[in-house]
Amino acid sequence: MSKHRHTAMKGAGYGKIAVSGLLVTSVGLLAAAGVYAGLSATATGAESVTSGSLNLTLTGDGTSSGFSNFTPKMAPGDTDNVYVNLNNTGTLASAAGMTLGVVGTPSNALTNGSVAGEGLTLTATQCSVAWTVSTGVCSGTTTSILPTTQVSALSTATALSNVPSLAAATGQLAHVQFSLGLVATETSTNGVAPGSTIQNLTTSLGFTFTEQQRAGVATNQ
Amino acid sequence: MLYRAHRNAGRTAALAAVLLCGVALVPPLAGAAGLGGKSVGNESVTSATGGVTASVTTMTFTTNTDQTSTVTNNGTVALVAESYSVTVSNPTGGNPTFKVFQCAVAWSATKCSGGAGTQVGATLAKNSTTTITSTTAMAVSGLLYLQVEPASVTASTVVTISTKIAAPTQLRAAVKTNQ
Repeated sequence: MSKHRHTAMKGAGYGKIAVSGLLVTSVGLLAAAGVYAGLSATATGAESVTSGSLNLTLTGDGTSSGFSNFTPKMAPGDTDNVYVNLNNTGTLASAAGMTLGVVGTPSNALTNGSVAGEGLTLTATQCSVAWTVSTGVCSGTTTSILPTTQVSALSTATALSNVPSLAAATGQLAHVQFSLGLVATETSTNGVAPGSTIQNLTTSLGFTFTEQQRAGVATNQ
Repeated sequence: MLYRAHRNAGRTAALAAVLLCGVALVPPLAGAAGLGGKSVGNESVTSATGGVTASVTTMTFTTNTDQTSTVTNNGTVALVAESYSVTVSNPTGGNPTFKVFQCAVAWSATKCSGGAGTQVGATLAKNSTTTITSTTAMAVSGLLYLQVEPASVTASTVVTISTKIAAPTQLRAAVKTNQ
Protein backbone atom coordinates (compact mmCIF):
# COMPACT_ATOMS: atom_id res chain seq x y z
CA MET A 1 0.00 0.00 0.00
CA SER A 2 2.76 2.43 0.97
CA LYS A 3 4.88 1.36 -2.01
CA HIS A 4 2.06 2.21 -4.38
CA ARG A 5 1.64 5.58 -2.76
CA HIS A 6 5.31 6.32 -3.13
CA THR A 7 5.21 5.37 -6.78
CA ALA A 8 2.20 7.62 -7.45
CA MET A 9 3.83 10.61 -5.84
CA LYS A 10 6.97 9.99 -7.82
CA GLY A 11 4.90 9.94 -11.04
CA ALA A 12 3.27 13.26 -10.21
CA GLY A 13 6.70 14.82 -9.73
CA TYR A 14 7.78 13.73 -13.21
CA GLY A 15 4.58 15.28 -14.63
CA LYS A 16 5.34 18.66 -13.12
CA ILE A 17 8.82 18.56 -14.53
CA ALA A 18 7.46 17.72 -17.99
CA VAL A 19 4.96 20.61 -17.93
CA SER A 20 7.63 23.06 -16.81
CA GLY A 21 9.86 21.89 -19.61
CA LEU A 22 7.16 22.44 -22.19
CA LEU A 23 6.49 25.98 -20.94
CA VAL A 24 10.16 26.92 -21.07
CA THR A 25 10.46 25.50 -24.59
CA SER A 26 7.36 27.40 -25.77
CA VAL A 27 8.61 30.71 -24.44
CA GLY A 28 11.93 30.14 -26.12
CA LEU A 29 10.33 29.38 -29.46
CA LEU A 30 8.11 32.47 -29.30
CA ALA A 31 11.05 34.68 -28.50
CA ALA A 32 13.00 33.27 -31.40
CA ALA A 33 10.08 33.84 -33.76
CA GLY A 34 9.86 37.53 -32.67
CA VAL A 35 13.43 38.12 -33.47
CA TYR A 36 13.20 36.57 -36.92
CA ALA A 37 9.74 38.11 -38.09
CA GLY A 38 9.23 38.75 -41.86
CA LEU A 39 9.74 42.05 -43.72
CA SER A 40 6.95 44.67 -44.06
CA ALA A 41 6.33 47.55 -46.51
CA THR A 42 4.11 50.70 -46.17
CA ALA A 43 2.79 53.17 -48.78
CA THR A 44 1.07 56.50 -47.84
CA GLY A 45 -1.02 59.08 -49.71
CA ALA A 46 -2.99 62.22 -48.76
CA GLU A 47 -6.33 63.56 -49.99
CA SER A 48 -7.47 66.86 -48.60
CA VAL A 49 -11.19 67.55 -48.25
CA THR A 50 -13.04 70.75 -47.38
CA SER A 51 -16.73 70.65 -46.64
CA GLY A 52 -19.11 73.21 -48.12
CA SER A 53 -21.62 75.34 -46.29
CA LEU A 54 -25.26 76.16 -46.95
CA ASN A 55 -26.27 79.52 -45.54
CA LEU A 56 -29.47 81.44 -46.14
CA THR A 57 -29.69 84.99 -44.86
CA LEU A 58 -32.64 87.32 -44.54
CA THR A 59 -32.14 91.08 -44.70
CA GLY A 60 -34.09 94.15 -45.72
CA ASP A 61 -34.33 94.92 -49.43
CA GLY A 62 -33.36 98.40 -50.56
CA THR A 63 -34.30 100.90 -47.88
CA SER A 64 -36.58 98.45 -46.08
CA SER A 65 -35.64 97.26 -42.62
CA GLY A 66 -37.19 93.93 -43.42
CA PHE A 67 -39.48 92.13 -41.04
CA SER A 68 -39.97 94.20 -37.93
CA ASN A 69 -43.11 95.79 -36.55
CA PHE A 70 -46.26 97.04 -38.25
CA THR A 71 -47.08 99.97 -36.00
CA PRO A 72 -50.54 101.09 -37.22
CA LYS A 73 -53.61 99.21 -36.11
CA MET A 74 -54.46 97.01 -39.04
CA ALA A 75 -58.02 97.20 -40.34
CA PRO A 76 -59.61 94.77 -42.78
CA GLY A 77 -58.37 95.60 -46.26
CA ASP A 78 -55.12 97.17 -45.08
CA THR A 79 -51.83 95.94 -46.49
CA ASP A 80 -48.43 95.77 -44.83
CA ASN A 81 -45.74 95.34 -47.50
CA VAL A 82 -42.35 94.21 -46.26
CA TYR A 83 -39.34 93.92 -48.57
CA VAL A 84 -36.61 91.41 -47.86
CA ASN A 85 -33.59 89.82 -49.48
CA LEU A 86 -33.09 86.08 -49.35
CA ASN A 87 -29.42 85.43 -49.99
CA ASN A 88 -27.58 82.16 -50.42
CA THR A 89 -24.31 83.13 -48.76
CA GLY A 90 -22.88 79.64 -48.36
CA THR A 91 -20.45 77.84 -50.64
CA LEU A 92 -22.98 75.28 -51.82
CA ALA A 93 -25.86 75.71 -54.17
CA SER A 94 -29.24 74.75 -52.86
CA ALA A 95 -31.62 72.30 -54.37
CA ALA A 96 -34.52 73.71 -56.29
CA GLY A 97 -37.34 74.58 -53.96
CA MET A 98 -37.76 76.45 -50.73
CA THR A 99 -40.36 76.26 -47.99
CA LEU A 100 -41.91 78.93 -45.83
CA GLY A 101 -43.55 78.40 -42.49
CA VAL A 102 -45.32 81.19 -40.58
CA VAL A 103 -46.20 80.84 -36.92
CA GLY A 104 -48.00 83.48 -34.85
CA THR A 105 -47.05 84.08 -31.24
CA PRO A 106 -49.38 84.16 -29.51
CA SER A 107 -51.65 82.07 -31.64
CA ASN A 108 -55.01 83.79 -31.98
CA ALA A 109 -57.77 84.47 -34.50
CA LEU A 110 -55.34 86.48 -36.63
CA THR A 111 -53.30 83.37 -37.32
CA ASN A 112 -55.06 80.18 -36.31
CA GLY A 113 -58.16 80.24 -38.50
CA SER A 114 -60.52 80.04 -35.51
CA VAL A 115 -62.88 82.55 -37.16
CA ALA A 116 -63.82 81.07 -40.50
CA GLY A 117 -62.79 83.16 -43.48
CA GLU A 118 -61.08 85.80 -41.35
CA GLY A 119 -57.53 86.53 -40.29
CA LEU A 120 -54.21 87.54 -41.78
CA THR A 121 -53.26 86.67 -45.33
CA LEU A 122 -49.86 86.58 -46.97
CA THR A 123 -48.77 87.11 -50.56
CA ALA A 124 -45.17 86.89 -51.78
CA THR A 125 -43.81 88.33 -55.00
CA GLN A 126 -40.25 88.27 -56.27
CA CYS A 127 -38.75 91.15 -58.24
CA SER A 128 -35.79 90.65 -60.59
CA VAL A 129 -34.20 93.81 -59.16
CA ALA A 130 -34.44 95.56 -55.82
CA TRP A 131 -37.89 96.89 -54.98
CA THR A 132 -38.52 100.61 -54.75
CA VAL A 133 -39.68 100.48 -51.18
CA SER A 134 -41.18 103.97 -50.97
CA THR A 135 -43.65 103.22 -53.75
CA GLY A 136 -43.80 99.43 -53.65
CA VAL A 137 -42.90 99.29 -57.34
CA CYS A 138 -40.78 96.66 -59.05
CA SER A 139 -38.98 98.20 -62.02
CA GLY A 140 -37.97 94.77 -63.27
CA THR A 141 -39.95 91.59 -63.69
CA THR A 142 -42.20 90.22 -60.98
CA THR A 143 -42.79 86.56 -60.25
CA SER A 144 -45.40 85.26 -57.85
CA ILE A 145 -43.89 82.82 -55.40
CA LEU A 146 -46.88 82.61 -53.05
CA PRO A 147 -50.45 83.48 -54.03
CA THR A 148 -52.62 85.12 -51.37
CA THR A 149 -52.86 82.52 -48.62
CA GLN A 150 -54.37 82.52 -45.15
CA VAL A 151 -51.55 82.65 -42.61
CA SER A 152 -53.35 79.88 -40.73
CA ALA A 153 -52.55 77.60 -43.68
CA LEU A 154 -48.84 78.34 -43.41
CA SER A 155 -48.34 76.93 -39.93
CA THR A 156 -46.70 73.95 -41.60
CA ALA A 157 -43.88 74.59 -44.03
CA THR A 158 -45.29 75.30 -47.46
CA ALA A 159 -43.43 75.09 -50.75
CA LEU A 160 -42.92 78.39 -52.50
CA SER A 161 -43.49 78.52 -56.23
CA ASN A 162 -40.96 79.37 -58.93
CA VAL A 163 -38.13 79.10 -56.47
CA PRO A 164 -35.40 77.56 -58.65
CA SER A 165 -34.28 81.06 -59.55
CA LEU A 166 -34.78 82.40 -56.05
CA ALA A 167 -31.61 81.61 -54.16
CA ALA A 168 -30.37 78.43 -55.69
CA ALA A 169 -26.88 79.41 -56.74
CA THR A 170 -24.16 80.49 -54.40
CA GLY A 171 -24.31 84.23 -53.81
CA GLN A 172 -27.70 84.58 -55.48
CA LEU A 173 -29.98 87.24 -54.09
CA ALA A 174 -33.75 87.22 -54.25
CA HIS A 175 -35.76 90.43 -53.78
CA VAL A 176 -39.11 89.51 -52.30
CA GLN A 177 -42.15 91.55 -51.32
CA PHE A 178 -44.29 90.03 -48.57
CA SER A 179 -47.77 91.52 -48.37
CA LEU A 180 -49.66 90.99 -45.16
CA GLY A 181 -53.38 91.63 -45.37
CA LEU A 182 -56.31 91.33 -43.00
CA VAL A 183 -59.59 89.80 -44.05
CA ALA A 184 -62.73 90.15 -41.93
CA THR A 185 -66.43 90.82 -42.19
CA GLU A 186 -67.80 91.73 -38.78
CA THR A 187 -70.37 94.00 -37.20
CA SER A 188 -69.75 95.60 -33.84
CA THR A 189 -72.84 96.45 -31.83
CA ASN A 190 -72.90 99.21 -29.22
CA GLY A 191 -69.10 99.35 -29.40
CA VAL A 192 -68.67 95.66 -28.74
CA ALA A 193 -67.09 93.30 -31.25
CA PRO A 194 -68.79 89.96 -31.94
CA GLY A 195 -67.88 87.01 -29.76
CA SER A 196 -65.58 85.51 -32.37
CA THR A 197 -63.49 88.33 -33.72
CA ILE A 198 -60.16 89.28 -35.19
CA GLN A 199 -60.36 92.76 -33.66
CA ASN A 200 -57.90 94.16 -31.15
CA LEU A 201 -55.47 91.25 -31.33
CA THR A 202 -51.68 91.28 -31.50
CA THR A 203 -49.38 88.62 -32.80
CA SER A 204 -45.75 88.30 -33.80
CA LEU A 205 -45.36 86.37 -37.01
CA GLY A 206 -42.28 84.19 -37.25
CA PHE A 207 -41.26 83.56 -40.86
CA THR A 208 -39.00 80.55 -41.40
CA PHE A 209 -37.44 79.96 -44.81
CA THR A 210 -35.79 76.61 -45.40
CA GLU A 211 -33.76 75.31 -48.31
CA GLN A 212 -31.90 72.06 -48.84
CA GLN A 213 -28.47 71.51 -50.32
CA ARG A 214 -28.04 70.54 -53.95
CA ALA A 215 -27.87 66.83 -54.74
CA GLY A 216 -24.68 65.04 -53.82
CA VAL A 217 -22.02 64.92 -56.57
CA ALA A 218 -19.83 61.89 -57.33
CA THR A 219 -16.41 62.91 -58.61
CA ASN A 220 -13.90 60.52 -60.23
CA GLN A 221 -10.33 61.75 -60.26
CA MET B 1 -24.95 35.63 -5.83
CA LEU B 2 -26.54 33.78 -8.69
CA TYR B 3 -29.90 35.35 -7.90
CA ARG B 4 -28.33 38.84 -7.85
CA ALA B 5 -26.56 38.16 -11.15
CA HIS B 6 -29.83 37.10 -12.75
CA ARG B 7 -31.58 40.16 -11.37
CA ASN B 8 -28.86 42.50 -12.74
CA ALA B 9 -29.01 40.79 -16.09
CA GLY B 10 -32.76 41.29 -16.12
CA ARG B 11 -32.39 44.97 -15.33
CA THR B 12 -29.81 45.39 -18.06
CA ALA B 13 -32.04 43.68 -20.59
CA ALA B 14 -35.02 45.83 -19.61
CA LEU B 15 -32.94 49.01 -19.87
CA ALA B 16 -31.65 47.98 -23.27
CA ALA B 17 -35.19 47.29 -24.45
CA VAL B 18 -36.36 50.73 -23.30
CA LEU B 19 -33.44 52.44 -25.02
CA LEU B 20 -34.05 50.52 -28.23
CA CYS B 21 -37.72 51.46 -28.17
CA GLY B 22 -36.77 55.09 -27.64
CA VAL B 23 -34.41 55.08 -30.57
CA ALA B 24 -37.02 53.41 -32.73
CA LEU B 25 -39.67 55.99 -31.82
CA VAL B 26 -37.49 59.06 -32.39
CA PRO B 27 -38.06 60.21 -35.99
CA PRO B 28 -35.02 60.62 -38.15
CA LEU B 29 -33.51 64.09 -38.09
CA ALA B 30 -34.72 66.36 -40.83
CA GLY B 31 -31.18 67.26 -41.80
CA ALA B 32 -30.02 63.70 -41.92
CA ALA B 33 -30.19 63.67 -45.72
CA GLY B 34 -27.82 66.62 -46.08
CA LEU B 35 -27.38 70.27 -45.26
CA GLY B 36 -30.33 72.58 -44.81
CA GLY B 37 -30.28 76.37 -44.84
CA LYS B 38 -32.74 78.25 -42.66
CA SER B 39 -33.49 81.91 -42.11
CA VAL B 40 -36.00 83.46 -39.74
CA GLY B 41 -37.71 86.86 -39.52
CA ASN B 42 -40.45 88.31 -37.34
CA GLU B 43 -43.20 90.85 -38.00
CA SER B 44 -45.63 91.92 -35.31
CA VAL B 45 -49.14 93.01 -36.18
CA THR B 46 -52.03 94.44 -34.17
CA SER B 47 -55.56 94.58 -35.52
CA ALA B 48 -57.85 97.54 -35.11
CA THR B 49 -61.26 97.71 -33.45
CA GLY B 50 -64.26 99.37 -34.99
CA GLY B 51 -67.13 100.44 -32.83
CA VAL B 52 -69.19 103.36 -31.57
CA THR B 53 -71.26 103.80 -28.46
CA ALA B 54 -74.25 106.01 -27.71
CA SER B 55 -74.47 107.79 -24.38
CA VAL B 56 -78.22 107.26 -24.24
CA THR B 57 -79.67 104.12 -25.78
CA THR B 58 -83.19 104.11 -24.36
CA MET B 59 -85.51 107.10 -24.52
CA THR B 60 -89.02 107.18 -23.14
CA PHE B 61 -91.37 109.74 -24.69
CA THR B 62 -94.57 110.84 -23.03
CA THR B 63 -94.69 114.22 -24.75
CA ASN B 64 -93.37 115.64 -28.00
CA THR B 65 -90.13 116.75 -26.43
CA ASP B 66 -86.83 116.11 -28.23
CA GLN B 67 -84.19 113.96 -26.60
CA THR B 68 -80.47 113.68 -27.41
CA SER B 69 -77.71 111.11 -27.35
CA THR B 70 -73.98 111.51 -28.00
CA VAL B 71 -72.23 108.97 -30.18
CA THR B 72 -68.52 108.29 -29.63
CA ASN B 73 -66.12 106.42 -31.87
CA ASN B 74 -64.34 104.40 -29.22
CA GLY B 75 -62.66 102.09 -31.70
CA THR B 76 -59.11 102.41 -33.01
CA VAL B 77 -59.98 103.08 -36.63
CA ALA B 78 -61.69 106.03 -38.28
CA LEU B 79 -65.15 105.51 -39.76
CA VAL B 80 -66.84 106.62 -42.92
CA ALA B 81 -70.35 105.62 -41.86
CA GLU B 82 -72.34 104.55 -38.84
CA SER B 83 -75.57 102.62 -38.55
CA TYR B 84 -78.25 102.71 -35.90
CA SER B 85 -80.87 100.11 -35.28
CA VAL B 86 -83.82 102.06 -33.92
CA THR B 87 -86.71 100.27 -32.29
CA VAL B 88 -89.97 102.08 -31.54
CA SER B 89 -92.31 100.41 -29.10
CA ASN B 90 -96.01 99.95 -29.60
CA PRO B 91 -97.75 102.47 -27.34
CA THR B 92 -101.16 101.88 -25.85
CA GLY B 93 -102.62 104.72 -27.85
CA GLY B 94 -101.97 107.09 -30.74
CA ASN B 95 -99.74 106.89 -33.78
CA PRO B 96 -96.50 108.59 -32.80
CA THR B 97 -93.67 109.06 -35.29
CA PHE B 98 -90.01 109.81 -34.74
CA LYS B 99 -87.17 111.37 -36.70
CA VAL B 100 -83.46 111.10 -35.93
CA PHE B 101 -81.25 114.09 -36.64
CA GLN B 102 -77.52 114.40 -36.28
CA CYS B 103 -75.26 117.36 -35.66
CA ALA B 104 -71.49 117.79 -35.61
CA VAL B 105 -71.72 119.90 -32.48
CA ALA B 106 -73.79 119.53 -29.36
CA TRP B 107 -77.46 120.40 -29.67
CA SER B 108 -78.41 123.65 -28.08
CA ALA B 109 -82.08 124.28 -27.27
CA THR B 110 -83.01 121.65 -29.88
CA LYS B 111 -80.97 123.47 -32.50
CA CYS B 112 -77.83 122.40 -34.36
CA SER B 113 -75.77 125.57 -34.66
CA GLY B 114 -79.03 127.37 -35.03
CA GLY B 115 -80.31 124.94 -37.63
CA ALA B 116 -82.22 121.71 -37.82
CA GLY B 117 -79.29 119.40 -38.31
CA THR B 118 -79.26 116.52 -40.78
CA GLN B 119 -81.92 113.87 -40.71
CA VAL B 120 -80.67 110.30 -40.64
CA GLY B 121 -82.96 107.85 -42.40
CA ALA B 122 -86.69 108.22 -42.83
CA THR B 123 -89.50 108.83 -40.38
CA LEU B 124 -89.94 105.95 -37.95
CA ALA B 125 -93.35 104.57 -37.06
CA LYS B 126 -94.49 102.88 -33.89
CA ASN B 127 -93.94 99.16 -33.35
CA SER B 128 -91.00 98.98 -35.72
CA THR B 129 -87.28 98.30 -35.91
CA THR B 130 -85.39 100.16 -38.60
CA THR B 131 -81.70 100.42 -39.41
CA ILE B 132 -80.68 103.89 -40.47
CA THR B 133 -77.21 104.88 -41.66
CA SER B 134 -75.25 108.07 -41.48
CA THR B 135 -72.38 108.65 -43.90
CA THR B 136 -70.63 111.14 -41.68
CA ALA B 137 -66.94 110.41 -41.15
CA MET B 138 -65.81 109.97 -37.59
CA ALA B 139 -62.24 110.14 -36.41
CA VAL B 140 -61.04 107.92 -33.62
CA SER B 141 -62.55 109.30 -30.39
CA GLY B 142 -64.71 111.60 -32.51
CA LEU B 143 -68.19 112.62 -31.40
CA LEU B 144 -71.51 112.89 -33.20
CA TYR B 145 -74.68 114.29 -31.66
CA LEU B 146 -78.09 112.73 -32.25
CA GLN B 147 -81.48 114.19 -31.50
CA VAL B 148 -84.68 112.17 -31.62
CA GLU B 149 -87.64 114.31 -32.45
CA PRO B 150 -91.09 112.87 -31.73
CA ALA B 151 -94.47 113.82 -33.13
CA SER B 152 -98.02 112.87 -32.15
CA VAL B 153 -97.04 111.23 -28.89
CA THR B 154 -100.12 110.60 -26.76
CA ALA B 155 -98.95 107.61 -24.72
CA SER B 156 -95.63 106.49 -23.36
CA THR B 157 -93.43 105.26 -26.20
CA VAL B 158 -89.92 103.85 -25.89
CA VAL B 159 -87.27 104.39 -28.54
CA THR B 160 -84.18 102.22 -28.34
CA ILE B 161 -81.01 103.00 -30.26
CA SER B 162 -78.37 100.36 -30.95
CA THR B 163 -75.19 101.42 -32.76
CA LYS B 164 -73.72 99.16 -35.41
CA ILE B 165 -70.45 99.33 -37.32
CA ALA B 166 -69.90 96.90 -40.16
CA ALA B 167 -66.34 96.10 -41.17
CA PRO B 168 -64.85 96.72 -43.59
CA THR B 169 -67.52 98.74 -45.39
CA GLN B 170 -67.94 101.39 -42.72
CA LEU B 171 -64.26 101.68 -41.85
CA ARG B 172 -61.93 104.22 -43.41
CA ALA B 173 -60.44 103.34 -46.77
CA ALA B 174 -57.84 100.58 -46.73
CA VAL B 175 -54.27 101.73 -46.23
CA LYS B 176 -51.24 100.26 -47.96
CA THR B 177 -47.96 100.60 -46.10
CA ASN B 178 -44.54 99.90 -47.63
CA GLN B 179 -41.79 99.37 -45.13
